[in-house]
Amino acid sequence: MYFIPFYLVAVIMYVVRALKGPTIPDRVLAIDCLGYVLATFLVIFSVYLKSPLIIACAIVLALWIYALDVYMSKYLEKRELGE
Amino acid sequence: MGLNFILTIISYILIGIGAFCQVVAGIGMNRFPNFFVRLHAATICAVGGSFVPIIGCSILALTLEEFGPSRFFLAGAGFVTAIFILLLAPVGSHLLAKAAYFSKAAVLHPKAADLLEEDIKKGEVRESTV
Repeated sequence: MYFIPFYLVAVIMYVVRALKGPTIPDRVLAIDCLGYVLATFLVIFSVYLKSPLIIACAIVLALWIYALDVYMSKYLEKRELGE
Repeated sequence: MGLNFILTIISYILIGIGAFCQVVAGIGMNRFPNFFVRLHAATICAVGGSFVPIIGCSILALTLEEFGPSRFFLAGAGFVTAIFILLLAPVGSHLLAKAAYFSKAAVLHPKAADLLEEDIKKGEVRESTV
């Protein structure tokens, strides 16, 4: 629990980059990092609060971050989102 | 001074390494000059800052004796999440870098050398095979 403020400082820096990012891939990368911090938070709080329901969201969140990467790269290359 | 004590110490050390890596990745995300260098900070965030503390939390969940048998569910789900992140984060970063390079969405401003561009100009490598 003593390490939570460090993660929050990192979240603030990622939000700065996500708002300021000069190009689209910069923002996508910052939002990826925000998602990884959120997944870590979910696991830490599920252990801290002793609630196994929260950790099921972390797996889904990790897969959603990958889906965001795949769809953004496809959009950047082909300018469309598939069929 | 049993096994539980040692595992608890190890898990707290892993969570501390994760916090350190997150702060380092946040600083790098703000200080690096362009997108292709910021990928390095993003990978530090994914592997050092997210994979390592989730493994630490799973080990910490295994030591909670008073939690009952559902602590195995907590630890197993944590390990699965960590392995997913370890496998999928570099793949996503690579996809994003390839798309940003070939669609020219990211500017490569402080450029030392771009060997791929020279190879494509010489005709040794075609864009569809990279």
